[in-house]
Amino acid sequence: MADAPAQLFPEFLVDTFGLPGVLGEVVAALIAAFVVGNIVLAFTGVAGPWAKRKITAAFTDRIAVSRVGPFGLLIIPASAVQLLAKELIVPEGVDRPTWDLAPIILPASALLGFAVIPMGQIGPVNLHLADPEVGFALVFAFASIASVSLVMAGYGSNNKYSMLGGLRAVAQNLAYEIPLIVTAMSVVIFAGTLEMSGIVAAQSETLVSIGGFDIPAWYALVNPFAFVLFLAANMAEIGRNPFDIPEAPTEIVAGYQTEYSSSYFVLFYLGEFVHIFLGGAILAVTFLGGPAGPGPESISFLWFVVKVWGFFLFTQWCRSALPRVRIDQLIEIGWKGMLVLSFANLVLTAVIVGVIA
Amino acid sequence: MRGRSKPQHVTETYMSDWIAIGALAAVGLLIPVAMMVVSALLRPSVPETGKSTTYESGETPTGTTRIRFNIQYYMVALLFVVFDIETVLLFPWVTIYRPALEAGVPMIDLLWPMLAFVGILAIGLVWAWRTGAVKWTRSPRATRRKTEREVNQ
Repeated sequence: MADAPAQLFPEFLVDTFGLPGVLGEVVAALIAAFVVGNIVLAFTGVAGPWAKRKITAAFTDRIAVSRVGPFGLLIIPASAVQLLAKELIVPEGVDRPTWDLAPIILPASALLGFAVIPMGQIGPVNLHLADPEVGFALVFAFASIASVSLVMAGYGSNNKYSMLGGLRAVAQNLAYEIPLIVTAMSVVIFAGTLEMSGIVAAQSETLVSIGGFDIPAWYALVNPFAFVLFLAANMAEIGRNPFDIPEAPTEIVAGYQTEYSSSYFVLFYLGEFVHIFLGGAILAVTFLGGPAGPGPESISFLWFVVKVWGFFLFTQWCRSALPRVRIDQLIEIGWKGMLVLSFANLVLTAVIVGVIA
Repeated sequence: MRGRSKPQHVTETYMSDWIAIGALAAVGLLIPVAMMVVSALLRPSVPETGKSTTYESGETPTGTTRIRFNIQYYMVALLFVVFDIETVLLFPWVTIYRPALEAGVPMIDLLWPMLAFVGILAIGLVWAWRTGAVKWTRSPRATRRKTEREVNQ
């Protein structure tokens, strides 16, 4: 693991194909971004119409999507065509530009977060678009643009359920954004850098050796308390159970997306899945060693996929197993519980690192 | 690895990081717009008056949505702004903390400014907690209704 960090994806393209100058960089960046975007879309394509149904069916002892193709996998193109070919119903009194822009902003902002995520290597290709010095702060900034989209959808729809969903999305963000970021900061204390590659590299050091087998210093092992705190805050950030109150199907129909149909609805659905995967990717980079895993570095993308899908499975498990918290409980848990715990964690980590180092 | 400066390609790739992020932003906008266009080509349009009615669980909609009402977490939102700025200001501190320790700065010199800063806000949080600002405020009407219900039972 002591090798020089692998080249970023756009640089690799520039060097391999000899693309000249700034224009070459832009072309390489666009190609790389297109590949990364499509990988994420492929994740959501498998997750949305197929894996989510299969997982929920397994949890509730049913059989789901088994007719079309092997394991029902061909339901993915079938669903895509079906959903895109639905009629778009524009309800009365919607606030037009707001209502139309909201479904673009959600998937776009969630995808943007993947720009700084190190997704591991396939062969010589390092699937990492950009590694700016502020990458770690940037990814949280991108991930929280999503709630703007939810508020726009809630306000623009002219529907009372949507309005409530939008307002709940704000309340949720207010309650969990700070514990999330403060807990993430305790990791930066260990790593001493905000670069994503630096945080991953710091976790590749050996924590302990048991019988010649090196256990890496993944921060989930170094600080399990922070890991659990971050996991809970992350579930709230991406709005999954037990914190799915902006949607709350049993209370406010479908929350902010009640009045959406056709491609607009698909985009919300897609954006949410991209957001789940972004949450998983952030969790993997922050606490699970990024794309690191046993085996050669050239297959590390597989480990990234395993970790991100593991997180997806966890969200679906929670969806089937946990009750939803009430909104007043959410504010109390966020401000009286997690905020205090996350600051305690930050101060304690700083003291412990100071004593050991 | 820790506290390292950027690898050798620092100057030439400093810009290309942001070019790559911009490229993904472009792709991220392109994908939803493309899906909207494809869908616009595929889908039928059969307008009926009933379809475009605002959904209110099958009832005829009553009144407008955009009314004034108490969103109940106004104080929490104000508090959030303060704490959000605090997190932004803490980011540089956590980044330099360990490199500074390794450079030989005593721990206490590094810790006390952060503790003082967080402490001031902690006092603010305690005050807000005591005065009930982080509690879900119940509107007088809801409380009245609840008591009526309890009395009737």
